[in-house]
Amino acid sequence: MLNYTFHWNQALKALPQMLEGALVTLQIAGLSMAIGLACAIALTLFRLSENRLLRGIAAVWVETARNTPALFQIYMAHFGLGSFGIHLSPFTALLAGIAFNNAGYLAENFRGALKAIPETQTRAARSLGMTPFQAFRLIVVPQMLRIAFLPITNQMVWAILMTSLGVTVGMNMDLAGVTQELNARSFRTFEFFGIAAVIFYLLTKSVTLAARAIAWRMFRY
Amino acid sequence: MKHPFFVFGLMATTAIATAAQADKLDEIISSGTLRCAVVLDFPPMGSRDADNNPIGFDVDYCNDLAAALGVTAEIVETPFPERIPALMSGRVDVGVASTSDTLERAKTVGMSIPYFAFEMVVSANDKSGIKTFDDMKGKVVGATAGTYEAIALEEQVKAWGGGEFRPYQTQSDVFLALSQGQIDATVSTSTVAQANVKSGNFPGISVGGVAPFDTDYVALFTNREEYGMINYLNLFINQQVRTGRYDELFQKWIGGELPNLTVDSVYR
Repeated sequence: MLNYTFHWNQALKALPQMLEGALVTLQIAGLSMAIGLACAIALTLFRLSENRLLRGIAAVWVETARNTPALFQIYMAHFGLGSFGIHLSPFTALLAGIAFNNAGYLAENFRGALKAIPETQTRAARSLGMTPFQAFRLIVVPQMLRIAFLPITNQMVWAILMTSLGVTVGMNMDLAGVTQELNARSFRTFEFFGIAAVIFYLLTKSVTLAARAIAWRMFRY
Repeated sequence: MKHPFFVFGLMATTAIATAAQADKLDEIISSGTLRCAVVLDFPPMGSRDADNNPIGFDVDYCNDLAAALGVTAEIVETPFPERIPALMSGRVDVGVASTSDTLERAKTVGMSIPYFAFEMVVSANDKSGIKTFDDMKGKVVGATAGTYEAIALEEQVKAWGGGEFRPYQTQSDVFLALSQGQIDATVSTSTVAQANVKSGNFPGISVGGVAPFDTDYVALFTNREEYGMINYLNLFINQQVRTGRYDELFQKWIGGELPNLTVDSVYR
């Protein structure tokens, strides 16, 4: 039985501080998606390449990113690299960890999306006189993005939630970090975590709804 | 009261109602187990030996409390930030977890009288050249999230207006970051600093000057409304000092001059 009286009025005083934290969380998630998407496209191309080394790099990256916990990846970015004298700040380590994770998952999404596009389309494009790159850019990529779009937004939601792992590497500016700190000061765990949960929900829900609206505008053809 | 039967019924109901309101002290005694929240990442107050058994000042203190209550002790490992959730969700009965008795926290949990007191010292990475507290100005510093020294240090960093503060989740992460040079210095209790430097797990660090924070008095805690339990804890702490057991445990785990647990010119 929970023997606890809620002090909401005290906790809500910290709301502006928590919303500032939410902004940092969105920044990290957004940046990590931008970096992740760029890396994922590169990884997808690596996988298609004839070069064994590039295929190997892509395989190791995707395997590690998808089959180890995000917590481990972020911890490694801070303390793992730190033991080799490479010092990433908590912000950078968190960003690098999530971007690494995003890239792995997105590369796999792109691979699936590419497979869903019949090869005959590339051949048709080539027979119309397009160069291989033109065929890829104008015919394959737009269709691939349509198929991969919703998985991408899914990964964005994950990225927002993964920022909460930053507390393990000393991050104190994002929503989870601010919440932990408020909690440590006052011990009002349930209020602060409750507010943080609501903010996280609103963030991710807005991302999902915005993505649906964008998909409806962009992919009606 | 014309009906003796009614009176008897009333008395029986009262008796049952009273029995149902057994307080925490009763519950612990009748369950036969005292569950203590102890931080096992905080040597020499709490840590694990080579066989993974919990050891330390706080562990012994919990065992003493259980012995006084005539029950068996159960050490529940609890990281610093999870002490209160553990208590509120009923996973532990009492916290023997080096908890600073701040007024802010006393709004949530019931604190006993102080059972231990810490002095704060600076520990620095040798390459940083930091020796004293003031050398830390403008540098990257860190401490264990949710501790007294973390809160004080972060405020100091804000007051200095430069540098950076990083809270880590565990004491060992702080010293790992310090040893790697991710942070230049930390403030911790002198006992922890010395134990970590001596352990040899964290090369390239040394203990510097004293941090000018107020003495960090730490208390046992339990649920705020459990006056019976808090009362018992207060008397228990008093007896530990009176019987010399406090001194004995201090010499066993820390050694040196025994910290005074009273404050001049004021009660409690």
